[in-house]
Amino acid sequence: MDALPHEAHAYDMELRQERRPAERPLVSVVDDDQSVRESLPDLLCEFGFAARVFSSAEELLASDCVEQTRCLILDVAMPGMSGPNLQRELKLRGREIPIIFITGSTDKTVRPRLLEQGAVECLFKPFSDTALLEAVNSALRPKSDRNGTS
Amino acid sequence: MEVQPELASGDVRHLQRCINDLVSLLALPAIWSGGDPSQVLHTLLDALMRMLRLDLASVRLTYPVGEPPIEIVRFAELRRPVPSAHEICEALSQCFKNDSRKWPPVLRNLMGEGDVSIVPLPLGLQGELGVIVVAAERMDFPRQTEALLLSVAANQASIGLQEARLLSHQKQVAIELDQQVAQRTAQLAAAEERWRSVYENSAIGVALADLNGRFLAANPVYEKMLGYTEEELRNLSFFEVTNEEDREPTQILIGELLAGKRQQFQIEEQYRRKNGSLMWVRNNVSMVPGTERVPRFLMALSEDVTERKQAEENLRRSEAFLAEGQHLARVGSFSWRVETDEITWSEQLYRIFEFDEDTPQTLERIFSRVHPDDIQLLHEMVERARRDGSDIDYGHRLLMPNHSVKHVNMVAHATRDRDGRLEYIGAVQDVTQRQLSEEALSKARSELAHVARITSLGVLTASIAHEVNQPLSGIITNAGTCLRMLAADPPNVDGARETARRTIRDGNRASEVITRLRALYGRKDATIESVDLNEATREVLALSLSELQRNRILVQQELADGLPLVAGNRVQLQQVILNLLRNASDAMSAVDDRPRQLLIRTDGDEDDHVRLIVKDAGVGFAPQAADRLFESFYTTKNDGMGIGLSVSRSIIESHHGRLWATPNSGPGATFSFSIPRASEGATGAENNRDIRTPDVTDAA
Repeated sequence: MDALPHEAHAYDMELRQERRPAERPLVSVVDDDQSVRESLPDLLCEFGFAARVFSSAEELLASDCVEQTRCLILDVAMPGMSGPNLQRELKLRGREIPIIFITGSTDKTVRPRLLEQGAVECLFKPFSDTALLEAVNSALRPKSDRNGTS
Repeated sequence: MEVQPELASGDVRHLQRCINDLVSLLALPAIWSGGDPSQVLHTLLDALMRMLRLDLASVRLTYPVGEPPIEIVRFAELRRPVPSAHEICEALSQCFKNDSRKWPPVLRNLMGEGDVSIVPLPLGLQGELGVIVVAAERMDFPRQTEALLLSVAANQASIGLQEARLLSHQKQVAIELDQQVAQRTAQLAAAEERWRSVYENSAIGVALADLNGRFLAANPVYEKMLGYTEEELRNLSFFEVTNEEDREPTQILIGELLAGKRQQFQIEEQYRRKNGSLMWVRNNVSMVPGTERVPRFLMALSEDVTERKQAEENLRRSEAFLAEGQHLARVGSFSWRVETDEITWSEQLYRIFEFDEDTPQTLERIFSRVHPDDIQLLHEMVERARRDGSDIDYGHRLLMPNHSVKHVNMVAHATRDRDGRLEYIGAVQDVTQRQLSEEALSKARSELAHVARITSLGVLTASIAHEVNQPLSGIITNAGTCLRMLAADPPNVDGARETARRTIRDGNRASEVITRLRALYGRKDATIESVDLNEATREVLALSLSELQRNRILVQQELADGLPLVAGNRVQLQQVILNLLRNASDAMSAVDDRPRQLLIRTDGDEDDHVRLIVKDAGVGFAPQAADRLFESFYTTKNDGMGIGLSVSRSIIESHHGRLWATPNSGPGATFSFSIPRASEGATGAENNRDIRTPDVTDAA
C-alpha cells in the first residue's frame, strides 16, 4: 500500500499538466454525510477534476449543474430522494449522467443490482482514493469503452 | 129376659134413659180421641152432671206422678160462696186418700149442708190415676143404674185418660222428632255449605264427571284453569279437554277405575284450554262410590303444575347446557367430602378418566389412573388438603389403560358446610391437547428466539458498520488527500493541514458512534431503589408457576413477615431469583423417585442482611465442585449454557451481597444469596464495601 499514493500522484500530475482549469470535467457529489462532502472535493481536485457538492438529490436538481456534470458520485441512502430515485429522475429528464454509487451499507447484494440498473460503479465506504479515481475515469470514458478497460 | 108385667112405665123410662146414658158414656172415647186429659175430664164431668143431675162433680188427676195434678170441679147451681176447686178437692182427697179399695162407696154430710151423698170413683184399677168424686143432695143417690153408669164412666175415663196420655206422649215424641229433624237438617245444611265452600274456594280444581267422562260439575278453580264455564264444561268430557297425546293413557286408566281394578290414579298430563293453549296439570282421579240416590261418578282433583314443569324443564335444560359445556371444554366437576371421602363426579369427569359411570368414585380408584410419576405428588396434595383446607390448583398426568398419557389441570376450592365439615368443589380440565400445543409452541418459540437472536446480532452488526463506515470513509479520503497534497510540488501544506484536521475530527466522530452504540445496545445504568424481596419473589413465582407446574415441581413458599427492604435493582434481583428457580427446576427434571420439592424462603440475616434461599431435591453437586459452579460455562446440564449462575453472582456482588451454594444433607442443593438491607446511607460511601467472593467452606 505504500506505493499507492505515489502511483496515484504520478497519474494525477499527468492529468493536471494536460488540463486547463476551464477544461476540467465537472464531477458532482451528492451525499447527506458532511465528512464525505468535505473530503471528496479536495481529493477530486487533486485528481484534476472540478467538483461540486450537494447534501441532497433535490438540491442538485434545483441547481444549474445538472447539464454540466460529467460524472455523478451519489450516496445510495439519503433522507428525501434516494440515490436510485435520482438516477431514475435524471433518466426521465433525458440526462443520462454516468453515476458512481457510494454506500455505507455492508450488504454486498446492493452492488450487482445497481450495476444492472446502469451504474458505472458502486463503492462501499470506506473506499480507497485509487478505487475512486478508477471509477471516475471509467465514468468519463465513452459508454462503449467502459467494460473493456475497467 | 122376661119382662115383669107390674113394671111401672116410669121404671121403663128410667131404664131407657139409663141405657141411653150408657150408650152416651160408651161413645165418649170417640169424642175424646185426639184430646188431652183435661179435655177428657171436662167432657166426662159435664156428661155425668147432665145424666145424673148431680150437684157436684170433681176430679183430681194425679198422674203422671211429678206433674201438677189437674183439678176440676162442677156445681149444679151457683152457690155462694163458691169454694175453689182446689179447696173442694183438698177436702175430698182428705177423705179418699190411702188405698182406694178401702174407700166407702158413699159418704154423707161431708160439707155440712144437709144430706149429700158423695161417691168416690177411683181412676185406674187402684185409683193410681186420681179420683172422681160426685155428689147429689139425694139420699137415694146413687141408685143401682146410677152406680152402674158411674162405674162405667170411671172405667171409660181411665181408658180415655190412658189414651189421651199416650196420645199426648206421642205428640211430644212427634214434636221432639220434628225438632231433631229440623236440627239435623240445619246441621246437614251447614255441612253442605262447608263442603260447597271447600269445593268452591279450593286452591285445587275439582271436577266431577259421569262414567263416560262427561262433566257434571266443576269448581271455580277448574273453570278458571281451563277458561270454560261450568255450563260449557257440562257439554264436554274429560277427554275433550285433555291434550290429544295424553288422551289414550287417561282413557286406559279410567277404564281400570270402571273395572274396579283401582280406586284412583295420578297422572301428569296436559290440558288444552278454551283459548287453545296448553297447560300442565297433576290430576288425581278417583271413583266416588254411588249411594242409593246418587250413582257412582268420577272425581278429578287437578293442580296446575305448569310453572313447576317449566322450572323442571329449565333445570333439565341448564343441566344439559352444563353437561354440553363440560363436554366441549373438556372440563369435569367434582365434589369431595374430606371427612367421609364421599366423592361426586360429573359425567364428563368420568369420561376424562375413562371410568364407568355406574361405579361410585373412591380415592383409590382415582389414584389407579394417575401417572405413577405423579402419584406421590398427588398424595402429598391430598394430605395437605386434608390438613389445612387450602385451595388446590395443580396439573398432573393420567396413565390410561391403553398406555396413553393425559394431562389434566385441577382446581378446587374448599368450603365448609353448616357443621364445619370440609368439602372441596372443583373442576378438572383435560389439557392434553393444550399441553401438546404448548410444547410445540414452546419449541417453536425457542427456535424463534434463537433466530431472533441471530437476526438481531446481524442487524446490530450492520447498524454498527453503517454508523462507523461514514466517518471512516471521511478519514480515509482525507488521509489520502492529505498525502497527495504533501507530495505535490510545491506541497499544499495548508490543504494538507485542513485535511489532517478533518481526519482527526472524523476519527472522533467514529469514536462517538461507538460510544453511542454501546449505550444503545449495552447494559444500561441500573436504577437503585428500595426493593421488597418478598414481593419481587412473588412476582417471579407468579410468572414461572405454570412452567414449574409443567415440570411438576411442588413449590413451597416460606416468605418471612416484616422482611426489611433491600437497596438494589428490582429487575436484576428478579433475574437472579428466576435463575435460581430455573436452576432448581432443571436439577429435578430427572427426579422421578421422590417429590420434586422446591422450597423458597426469605428471612432476615444477621448483620443487617436479607437472605433468600432456594432449596431443591435435585441431582445436587459434589462438594468439591462447589467453587466451580459459578464459573462461566460450567454446567452439570447437558443442554445448559452455564452462564446463569456466573451472571447471578456478578449481579448479587454488584449489590454488595454474596451468592453461594451448599449440598443438602438429603438429595439436592441449596442456593442462597444475602444482600444488605436498605438504609439511609445505602447509596453513600459505606456502600462501597469490598465485594466478597462466595465462600463455599462456610456453607458446607
